[in-house]
Amino acid sequence: MIEQRLSVASEAAQLPVLTRFLKEFWVAAALPPAESVKFELALEEVFMNVVMHGSPGAGTQVEVSVILCDGGLTLMVENEGPAFDPLLLPAPDVAASLEERKVGGLGVFLVRQMMDAVSYQRVAARNQLRMTKRLTAGVDSPRLAPSV
Amino acid sequence: MIAEGRLDFGAAKEFQAQLEQVMADTRTAPATVIIDCAGLEYVSSAGLRVFLLAARASQRAGLGFAMCSLQPAVREVFELSGFSRIIAVHTDRAAALASLPQRSA
Repeated sequence: MIEQRLSVASEAAQLPVLTRFLKEFWVAAALPPAESVKFELALEEVFMNVVMHGSPGAGTQVEVSVILCDGGLTLMVENEGPAFDPLLLPAPDVAASLEERKVGGLGVFLVRQMMDAVSYQRVAARNQLRMTKRLTAGVDSPRLAPSV
Repeated sequence: MIAEGRLDFGAAKEFQAQLEQVMADTRTAPATVIIDCAGLEYVSSAGLRVFLLAARASQRAGLGFAMCSLQPAVREVFELSGFSRIIAVHTDRAAALASLPQRSA
């Protein structure tokens, strides 16, 4: 298992710092490049939700953990503050017309579509959102085992 | 109009301003907006919002609006979000141009 953790201020200007952190983890762990985008998107959407809805004021921190374990990658985003479960946001109507289409809730909707599992927990006075997805290009897949 | 690089929360505001400027110009020139995404590697909901607002503004103003040359990762976001049903998406620039109504100058 490989785990890395980064704490940043809860502000939009920190988004590039988090993206770089994730990309550096990706390269260091030699993960398949094509799979990176989904995690970058999940991190952006969840972090920006915290920045816009979840923070009680200046000076609060957001902790991001990246955990690689058994061919799956978990992103965990934690912050102190009032309880805020982004998974309770109403799903967007993806069949709405151009004129009626709204953008609210789209970020979390995309995260749910792209990850295998997304869960929210309130731990002590902290919001904790976990997102996990298997990395498909694992070389240890049984299907790729040589048959004799 | 060309969209390239990363269209994330940080880049969305400036891109929106550029797009609005282009669209304001098109009211007196050819009345179509095509966004070429060949160089666009990443789009988040912040970027989708800009495309949605621009497509809607185009429709209201009677302008054509289309996007083309989406990379696989961007295409996937468009499909999952249902945007490929409300915004015309073409394989390349030629196909996008061919699809838009021709207007005489």
